[in-house]
Amino acid sequence: MRMPASATARLRSLVLWLVAGLLLAVWAFPVLWGLLTSFKTERDVLAYPPVVVFTPTLDNYREVLFGASSILPNLWSSMVVSTLATILTMLFAIPAAYAMARLRYPAKRASGFYVLATQMLPPVGLIIPFYLVLQKIGGLDSYSGLTTIYLTFSLPFAIWLMVSYFEDIPFEMEEAALLDRAGRFRTLWYVILPQVRGGIAVTTVFVFLNAWNEFLFAVVLGGNNVRPVTVAMFNFISLEQTQWARLAAGAMLAMSPVIIIGLAAQRHIVKGLTVGAVKGGGRR
Amino acid sequence: MRAMQTGSAVDVPAVQGHEPAPVGPQSVRGVRTLVSEERRFAALLLLPALIVLLLATTAPLVYLAWNSLHHLDLAMPMFSGFAGLDNYVKMSSDPRFWNSLWLTFIYTSVTVVLQVTVGLALALLVLRIPRGQGVLRVAAILPIVLAPVVVGLFWRTLVLAPDVGLVDLVTRSLGLGSYNWLGDPQLALISVIAIHTWQWTPFAFLVLLATLATLPPDVYEAARLDRAGAGQRFRYITLPLIRPAVIVVMIMRMVTALSAFAAIFAATGGGPGSSTEILNLYAYRTSFSEFNIGYGASLAMVLMAITLVISYFMFRLRRAE
Repeated sequence: MRMPASATARLRSLVLWLVAGLLLAVWAFPVLWGLLTSFKTERDVLAYPPVVVFTPTLDNYREVLFGASSILPNLWSSMVVSTLATILTMLFAIPAAYAMARLRYPAKRASGFYVLATQMLPPVGLIIPFYLVLQKIGGLDSYSGLTTIYLTFSLPFAIWLMVSYFEDIPFEMEEAALLDRAGRFRTLWYVILPQVRGGIAVTTVFVFLNAWNEFLFAVVLGGNNVRPVTVAMFNFISLEQTQWARLAAGAMLAMSPVIIIGLAAQRHIVKGLTVGAVKGGGRR
Repeated sequence: MRAMQTGSAVDVPAVQGHEPAPVGPQSVRGVRTLVSEERRFAALLLLPALIVLLLATTAPLVYLAWNSLHHLDLAMPMFSGFAGLDNYVKMSSDPRFWNSLWLTFIYTSVTVVLQVTVGLALALLVLRIPRGQGVLRVAAILPIVLAPVVVGLFWRTLVLAPDVGLVDLVTRSLGLGSYNWLGDPQLALISVIAIHTWQWTPFAFLVLLATLATLPPDVYEAARLDRAGAGQRFRYITLPLIRPAVIVVMIMRMVTALSAFAAIFAATGGGPGSSTEILNLYAYRTSFSEFNIGYGASLAMVLMAITLVISYFMFRLRRAE
């Protein structure tokens, strides 16, 4: 006997929703749990069974922002390094990507492979020589040193993502502009770039997120002056082993920019990931 | 005369039937100046980025290789000097190195396989949900945008801590007892694999979901009319169609897994002992905790070689598609 079609359909959609709900819980719950924890007192954090209803407190945030180990300087460091790295990356990546997508020049294929290969490099292989060189020239704990090494992962990534956006523009546009004897540069600036505004925005978001989240380079090359918030988070746990509520509050603040950007730009992020996957660019 | 062909290997951008626009008189000289002008413009746009990459990635790598041929111990600078292949010889009889190599293999293969299979299964399921996919996408974005170091710390404290962590809350309430997830060598390895899989499965899921959504529905309709079962439809239609995307996702996930550092560093620091010390962590600890930079550099060289070989084969595989 077959079940009536509507009952089967209902059962199937129920199962689907259960799976989807579980999925949602597994991915969102640790973050939501962290959010919840950040409003608890340390005593409530360690309570068993866990307390779901509790008097929320803002003490953790107050402490993390204005207390002895305030993360405000770290947020500032992250902001400076990420912004600098993003601007520099885009300045170098956009022209290069246009050339790779559109122009003919010798050894084009080799240049493509080269950029791709640099993207594959494991960071731990780069941090050792950077550390040695920066130590020699007194560049440790400086914005310029950290920004430079951030280019090693953001530049190849941005070039490849932008190449795929440039490739989507119809050739007719620049041909028409060139026929009108607009110079190549003016064509790029006035005709092509407006076409890839969306791509530039997506790439900028990705580059910024990756720079903000970077840890290995920051922990080795940073110091008391330049200490991005990811390093501060890590130090937090070694300094204050059991103060999880405070850690949670710090983590929420540290991650608020990327969470906000991520949620606001989620459609574009999915598209960026997919473009990267279809065309093969992108590391993260 | 094109520098490259459409549909060429790997991802080098394809020039899609682009012929020079007929500008000016159609003389050979006119075309030639046009070509050289285009080349000059390309050089102007391309060289700054290439020079930055050369100075910031390639030059450091040469320096890394050079250092790997040296004794360079920041704690004992008096013993520094050229070492030839000493570091590599030492490596061959270093059990901690072989252990880290094995862990790298386990970590990379298990996380990539899990991410792709779980991601694909979920994408196939979610594709059938008519509404609410947006909510799921938002939830899936969350782990991806978080810093791996914060993910590691979150898991270490709120999720995996004995007694009060989320996982122990579940196992305790089910009467399964409490575990020291990050303190026991084997559980720690499982835990760091779980952390990585948790953070990056959404990537595979989102990309494959987007790919599945672009598949032509009429093919499935035809297959259904031919009485092909769900399994057959998946095996003979879906899988071949999404194969390129699956391979690219695998390449990207592999590269990420091979350069994984922060989440493990935050969750276990490579411990207990060296039970979660993948090659990355071993190279880092050797260089920056034990200050033996020469040996650390040679370990990093091995990782570099592995990454390059793997990417080469993966891209060959992709070209074969």
